Amino acid sequence: MIPIEFFLAFAAILFAIGAYGVITKTNTIIVLMCIELMLNAANINFIAFSGFLGDAMGQVFVIMTISVAAAEVAVGIAILLNAYKIKKTTETDSLTCMRW
Amino acid sequence: MFDLPEIPYLLTLLIVIPLIGAIVSLAMGGEKQKHAKTVAIAFSAVTLVLAVYLMLSNDYSVYTENYSWIETAGLKMSYILTVDGLSILMVFLTALLLFVVSIFSAHETDKPNYFFALLLAMEVGLMGVYMAGDYFLFYIMWEVTLIPMYFMISWFGGPRRHYAAIKFFIYTHVASLVMLIGIFALAFQAAQGGLVDFSFEAVLAGSGAFGETFQMLVFGLLFFGFAVKMPIVPFHTWLPDAHTEAPTAGSVLLAGVMLKMGSYGIIRVCLEALPQGAQQWQTIMFVVAIVAILYGAYACIAQKDLKKMVAFSSISHMGMVMLGIACLSDVGVEFAIFQMFAHGLVTAVLFMTCGMAGHNFGTREIPLLGGMAGKVPVYAAFMMFGFMASLGLPGLVGFWGEFGVIFAFYEYAYSIDMIWLIVFCLMSLMLTAGYYLWAMQRTLFGRLTDRIDTTHVHDVNKAEGIAMGIMCLMIAVFGLWPDLALSLISQYSTGLFGVI
Amino acid sequence: MFIEYTWLVPLIPALCFVLVGFFGNKMGKTGGGYLAIAGVAVSCLLSVLISYEFFTSAAYASPGYYTESMTWFTFPGGFEITIGFYVDTLACLMMMFASFISMLIFVYSLGYMGEEGKRKRRYFAEVALFVTGMLGLAISSSFIEMFIFWEIMGLCSYLLIGFWSFNHPEGDDKADNAASAAKKAFLVTRLGDVSLMGGLFVMLYAFGSLDYTVVFDAANIASVDHNLIIIACLLIFGGVIGKSAQFPLLDWLPDAMAGPTTVSALIHAATMVKAGVYLVARCFPIFCEASSVMLLVAVIGGVTMFFAATMAMNNMNIKKVLAYSTLSQLGYMFLALGAGGYMIAIGIETGDTALIAAGSLGYTAGCLHMVNHAFFKALLFLCSGSVIHSTGTEDMREMGGLGPKMKVTSITMLIGSLSIAGFPFFAGFFSKDLIIEQALHAADYGTAGWIFIVLWALAIITAFMTAFYMFRMWYMTFRGPEGPKTQHCHGESPKSMTVPLMVLSIFAFGFGFVLLFGFDGLLSINVDLATGQFFVGGGHAEGLEYLVEFFTNPWTYLTIVLVIAAIIIAKFMYDKRKINPGKFNKNGTSWLYRALASRWWFPELYNQVSWKLGYGVARGVDYVDRNIVDGAVNGLSNAVVGSGDILSKAQTGNVRNYAAVVLGGIVVLFVVILALFYFMGGL
Repeated sequence: MIPIEFFLAFAAILFAIGAYGVITKTNTIIVLMCIELMLNAANINFIAFSGFLGDAMGQVFVIMTISVAAAEVAVGIAILLNAYKIKKTTETDSLTCMRW
Repeated sequence: MFDLPEIPYLLTLLIVIPLIGAIVSLAMGGEKQKHAKTVAIAFSAVTLVLAVYLMLSNDYSVYTENYSWIETAGLKMSYILTVDGLSILMVFLTALLLFVVSIFSAHETDKPNYFFALLLAMEVGLMGVYMAGDYFLFYIMWEVTLIPMYFMISWFGGPRRHYAAIKFFIYTHVASLVMLIGIFALAFQAAQGGLVDFSFEAVLAGSGAFGETFQMLVFGLLFFGFAVKMPIVPFHTWLPDAHTEAPTAGSVLLAGVMLKMGSYGIIRVCLEALPQGAQQWQTIMFVVAIVAILYGAYACIAQKDLKKMVAFSSISHMGMVMLGIACLSDVGVEFAIFQMFAHGLVTAVLFMTCGMAGHNFGTREIPLLGGMAGKVPVYAAFMMFGFMASLGLPGLVGFWGEFGVIFAFYEYAYSIDMIWLIVFCLMSLMLTAGYYLWAMQRTLFGRLTDRIDTTHVHDVNKAEGIAMGIMCLMIAVFGLWPDLALSLISQYSTGLFGVI
Repeated sequence: MFIEYTWLVPLIPALCFVLVGFFGNKMGKTGGGYLAIAGVAVSCLLSVLISYEFFTSAAYASPGYYTESMTWFTFPGGFEITIGFYVDTLACLMMMFASFISMLIFVYSLGYMGEEGKRKRRYFAEVALFVTGMLGLAISSSFIEMFIFWEIMGLCSYLLIGFWSFNHPEGDDKADNAASAAKKAFLVTRLGDVSLMGGLFVMLYAFGSLDYTVVFDAANIASVDHNLIIIACLLIFGGVIGKSAQFPLLDWLPDAMAGPTTVSALIHAATMVKAGVYLVARCFPIFCEASSVMLLVAVIGGVTMFFAATMAMNNMNIKKVLAYSTLSQLGYMFLALGAGGYMIAIGIETGDTALIAAGSLGYTAGCLHMVNHAFFKALLFLCSGSVIHSTGTEDMREMGGLGPKMKVTSITMLIGSLSIAGFPFFAGFFSKDLIIEQALHAADYGTAGWIFIVLWALAIITAFMTAFYMFRMWYMTFRGPEGPKTQHCHGESPKSMTVPLMVLSIFAFGFGFVLLFGFDGLLSINVDLATGQFFVGGGHAEGLEYLVEFFTNPWTYLTIVLVIAAIIIAKFMYDKRKINPGKFNKNGTSWLYRALASRWWFPELYNQVSWKLGYGVARGVDYVDRNIVDGAVNGLSNAVVGSGDILSKAQTGNVRNYAAVVLGGIVVLFVVILALFYFMGGL
């Protein structure tokens, strides 16, 4: 059996990649994808602990997270499309109208 | 004074009637808005009648109302309304000024329903402050007065109204937060870990737990809170701005009764609950009082705006109140209260006349005016009467306040062997006469001004004349018969300290 | 019988004030003038009846006064403020002459103010209030009540001096002038009033009451700290200086001529300035506690007497000359009271009854001069008003030769001038001579006696100057070559103006003779040495002995000779024009002439001081207020807003930055927590 540390390390790396993407990428689509990466990193942790502890609750949460993530992507993409309609861009650096 | 039958819930009525009036007035939008003034006059008249009824009653204690309001395991806040010799005059003054101001503003045409609703809402808060028997209620009502006044200035004010309104609100609100800390300190210290009861009685009962340092510190907090409201130099700068920008009715209420909340608070809270703190702060109180008196008087001389001048004169006269309080003697407090009342009456006339200068002449700038007495004789007569009353002409109400306060100060000065101190007070009387007469000389007398267009200048109209006539009558009545007020005050002040 | 109704004496004019003030315009063409006259006439009648009753009834002789009062209010510490009336001979005298002269002036006003139209309502209302003030002052039973009426008079003088302070019939400059004069009058007297108020505080605290019966009670005086009484006396005298326009607060009175002439007559003769004299006379029981206080009274009086007379010497304004003469004559009164009081004070100290009796004569002289002055000064002012009314100018250089055109006015004014100059057997002669005699008498006593020699000399010189400037005025107006305005003179004034003149001239001539008929007994002040109690009246009257005394005293002849010499000089200078006055003053260029013309630079000094101390400081305070106090408040708010501005720069709106901050924050938090666990000993 693969030791749990492997899963955790893998999830951490995945999370770091996602976080890096969110901070550095200016394309909103990529940012959204990176957010998905981070969510999935969390999911992997859930699964890993669920298997390790023999508790199904973690898997329940993962399903929950996936459905929430799907909804979130839907909303996110909708906002993105609207922003694109108004601003003709999806660059995060240009979408700064939420400032104060 | 008289053995009048008791009216149930009289004190609550004094708060509820203006509240209903405010709501009714607010509801009279659109076509009906020209009737808002009738509503305001009617409701304030009823309140005035009730207040006079209350004042003339023999025994105020039967009217005390006490209901539990918020009660948890550790906290108790009650709805307590009560009046005594200190508050009854303020209640009467509030009701009177509201009535007079409603008549005075009868010609307000710009959104009158809001205007009168704000006026009546202010009365709710003021009545609440003066009748509250519970610190928490007191604080809430204190804040309630702020909000209508803020809107009054920022909706109906002059050109710099937003600045003035914000300044007024923030300045006095910061002060009342400091005061709130003081009130919490009082209540929690008095409770000593038991049930924290915010009522005046409970705090007084627990005041044995107030140590010397505690008294000094808490007195400082509360004093700051009240001093800003009074206002005491150097925390006064919101006042001239607020007065200059506020509509006339707002100024009258602001100077007439809202400033008195400060001095009322000092007597009611600081002196009653923290007598030792008062002793420790006595010298500072004297200093700030004398500084306020002279500073206000001198500042008046330099003012060019009539209303601003009167605003500074309020600072000077409230300094007199402070001086009376600072004596910490029966006489001092008695006449400080009388001076509060007197100033309320007199300053109403002053602000009405000076405010009218803006409407009737188009400007309040003294250098632009001159020789107006020939154009507007009735106005000139009212203005002169007000100024004379304010400079302490004997036989009018202002004189007795000043006389008594300076006498109390003389007593104190004699007790510390420094009677020359009264020179400062006497000097202020001189300065007061100086700035008023100089202002009159420049506005009313001399050659008719050619710096403004005087063809459209109109004299006092009927509503304004009635309003000011009532106030002048009151000034004369209480001046010729000061015992009318003093007998009420002495019920409260006698034995508060004992004589020096 | 009548004396119980003394309170009506001021109340009736007060009622007239209210009625005329509100409804005067509905009372016909005179604007309520008849009502005001009727009111003051009733007061006059009532005061005569009261006085008659008081003088004749033995019931009032023993304490020397009749008083009724009630508690107005009390305040903690046992202090009681009472209101009521207090009748003694001084009060009787005051209310009689004040109401009588006021009545005549009111009648005169019907003619003099005849062209004022609607303004007559205001005029008659205000003068009625003025008389209320004076009558109330006369019968007050306590200092506080006195102070109220005292201030009411101040208010009325303000209103009346400023009567023409807007819409002046002669143009805007005059209106400005009147407004400024009214303000000055009120402020300068207010300076005195404030001092008086200080005196009231001292006395109220010392005596526990301001009632005359308490304050003047010998036992109470004895039980109070002596120094406090001296302070109180000095402060009260400060009020007197302001009200009676004594040195150094004498400058407002000449300016007060900006009001109507009838008002000047009221202020100078019947009311206002007499209040100060009355107050000193009233306060004798406490003023006599210290000879130094009385010395001050005499010195102030003497200095004013002399200085005011010098200023009258070269003034060209007929009313101003009279104004200075009032100041000068008031100085005489204070000199008399001071000299008499000085002797009484020393008499009390040494227990010398004879000296007290001698000093009492000073009191009598001062009061007699006050009444005499009231008559002749009212007469003189009304005459000058008559002249001004018919010529339309106040400048004496534009008059001249008016005598034949205005016979009644010129003759009555001559009587007034002779009386004020102290010509033998005219009213002024008796009182003035008595004053000069008192001053010399006082010089024999005490360590400071030599001062009275100086004052006596000044009094004699002033008598000479008085005669000179009065006749200078009379000759310049009624004799000599005709001036440019004489042609415009439309003859004698109407009956309503000349009849009061004639009535007054009878009194101005004859009132002095009351001295020969027991006046000094009626208005003497006596001290019971055993108890130290003062009482007024009931003294021994010397009566006709005065005639002997006057004319056996060589100094009397000196005065008479000087007075006659002054009249002759004036005649040669201004009637015959044999002597050119210009050669004494280098045609108006000598420094003395300029000093007098600019009133010894007093107005200049006052302007400078009040401007610097008042407006200068005020500007400073205003600067501090705007820039430092309010600056601090605004600075604080600006600092809050500004720092918020700076911090808000962190809000870039850029999602990536926010995310970075969040992540960074989490990392930092994590590290901190780890470090905490590490250092605090693990999980």
